[in-house]
Amino acid sequence: MDSYRRYKRTGWLAAAILLVIGAFILSLFLGKYPLGLADLLAGDTQAGKVFFTLRLPRTIMAVAGGFGLGAAGWVYQMVFRNPLAAPDVVGVSSGASAGAAAAILFLSAAPALVTAGAFIGGLLAVLLALGLSALAPGKGHGTIVLAGVAVHSLAQTVLMFLKLAADPEKELASIEYWIMGSLNAVTLTKIGVPLLVCAAGLVVLFLLYRQIQILSVEEGEARLLGVSVGRMRLLVLLAATLVVTAVVSVTGLISFVGLLAPHTARLLIRENGKTALWLGGLVGSILLCGADMLARSVAAAELPVSIFTSLLGAPFLIYLMMRRGGWE
Amino acid sequence: MKETLLTVEGLCGGYGAHFALKDISFAIKKGTLTGLLGANGSGKTTLLKMLCQQMKHEGTCVLSQKEADAQEGLILEQLSSRRLARLVSYIPQRTGITVSMAVLDVVLMGFQPVLGLLERPGRAQRQQAQQALEMLGLGAYVQRDFLSLSEGQKALVLLARTLVEDSRLLILDEPDSALDLPNRYGFLSRIAGLIKERESGGILSLHDPQLALHFCHQLILMKEGRLVGRICPEVDPLPEMEAALGQIYGPVTLVECAGRDKRRRLALLWEQQKDLTPDRGQEEER
Repeated sequence: MDSYRRYKRTGWLAAAILLVIGAFILSLFLGKYPLGLADLLAGDTQAGKVFFTLRLPRTIMAVAGGFGLGAAGWVYQMVFRNPLAAPDVVGVSSGASAGAAAAILFLSAAPALVTAGAFIGGLLAVLLALGLSALAPGKGHGTIVLAGVAVHSLAQTVLMFLKLAADPEKELASIEYWIMGSLNAVTLTKIGVPLLVCAAGLVVLFLLYRQIQILSVEEGEARLLGVSVGRMRLLVLLAATLVVTAVVSVTGLISFVGLLAPHTARLLIRENGKTALWLGGLVGSILLCGADMLARSVAAAELPVSIFTSLLGAPFLIYLMMRRGGWE
Repeated sequence: MKETLLTVEGLCGGYGAHFALKDISFAIKKGTLTGLLGANGSGKTTLLKMLCQQMKHEGTCVLSQKEADAQEGLILEQLSSRRLARLVSYIPQRTGITVSMAVLDVVLMGFQPVLGLLERPGRAQRQQAQQALEMLGLGAYVQRDFLSLSEGQKALVLLARTLVEDSRLLILDEPDSALDLPNRYGFLSRIAGLIKERESGGILSLHDPQLALHFCHQLILMKEGRLVGRICPEVDPLPEMEAALGQIYGPVTLVECAGRDKRRRLALLWEQQKDLTPDRGQEEER
């Protein structure tokens, strides 16, 4: 029985890794500009340029970003002990949106500036939410949710003001487009720092895996297991949020990956341990990479990637839900 | 005469002006189980929270050192949370595990106080956890989802977790509330056996006085935040115990009898109070 479970776990992990690799390769050669391996090897400069400045960064971002969102989603669901928890709970997404909008409005719509603005906005929102909850007397995970809701609506208000102030022809369109999320504008120069931040956050999360698991237990019980709950939760949430902010600052808002990927992983292997964390990340990669491929090839114009993350993810999740009710 | 394990002195404190514990003092001997009895809201859970140092209070809880030559006891109030976690383990009324995870992972949490921040449980520790589960008859459930277990099995998994913790003081909050009759007796007799074997001590709040009389070496009776009586079911004379229990339950009669094992047991009969409706029969708890 145990060995069967282990085979099943490794099987799904291996399948997911193969799928990620497949999606990665497919994504490199899929798009408006026809690109073949032969062109690249033949030293076609145009092909090389497309490959290295457009396809490669975009694909790397899709795979890494999806992994980050999926893994962070698992962490949020554990720490908040809520299957619906997502980065929005601590106000990251709306903070990043407000930051991006501010950058578009006051600086320029240059991608690097928007990324920086979104990153700072998201970070500010999280620090504000976590800081507020640390100041509050209770310090329970309920406090963090409340602080997050407050910061989220605050950021939404700021965003609304910025939209009102924006020039509807150009700036407002840029803001809206950013909020819808796309990997269209990903270039090699833009992804360096965000990927580093994302990787650092992920390393922290994987190292603290055991602590995260204990944080999913009721507070008093966790404390009597010897965890300083307040501090550890702050650290874990900060790391998870850094990952999300780093990804979102490059891609714009991407809905559902953080929510769907961990659930899909859990339903596939029917357990919630470290394998679920890995698989959650990998499913996120597949989802985002697949959605991005569709976003750039379905219509003549680029479509927002969030349309396809939901379109791909939701039916699959529903199928898994219906396949066999609940856990065994 | 058994040695003292825990000395609780002058515990006071609570939730503002509405409710407070007032000057609770008692001691727990090594290898024994202490039961807390009292009506809802009498302060049982509050007292347990204070013992776990999860609630601010005045007064001290002193745990004797393991080494016989150590003179000074450990003042629980002054210990770091990691140190405390090694010495005291706690089984809540209903576990706070609401996210699904493998049974083995739940048990491995017991090693948290001895592991470094980034350290993982080693092979020996995994084996120890597996053995604890096997000892409690849960060998087949190692990789199961904890949430899919019955309440009785969950309680046993948490007991396995405290087994690997190897702590000196076990604190249980109403372990009888979620369990059916055979599970209650089974669970508590395992705990009593474990505590005796390890020379540790246990304190638990209970609703069922019958169960308390059966398993506990000492009963602490609480009413409105005060300690109103202390009885040792094995030695105290029946009328004395009846009077003490009467303070919290109303008039009761204790009947001495023997089970099939010929061991002396006490049955508690709850006596009808005059002002209650006359047509309701006597409630007998066995």
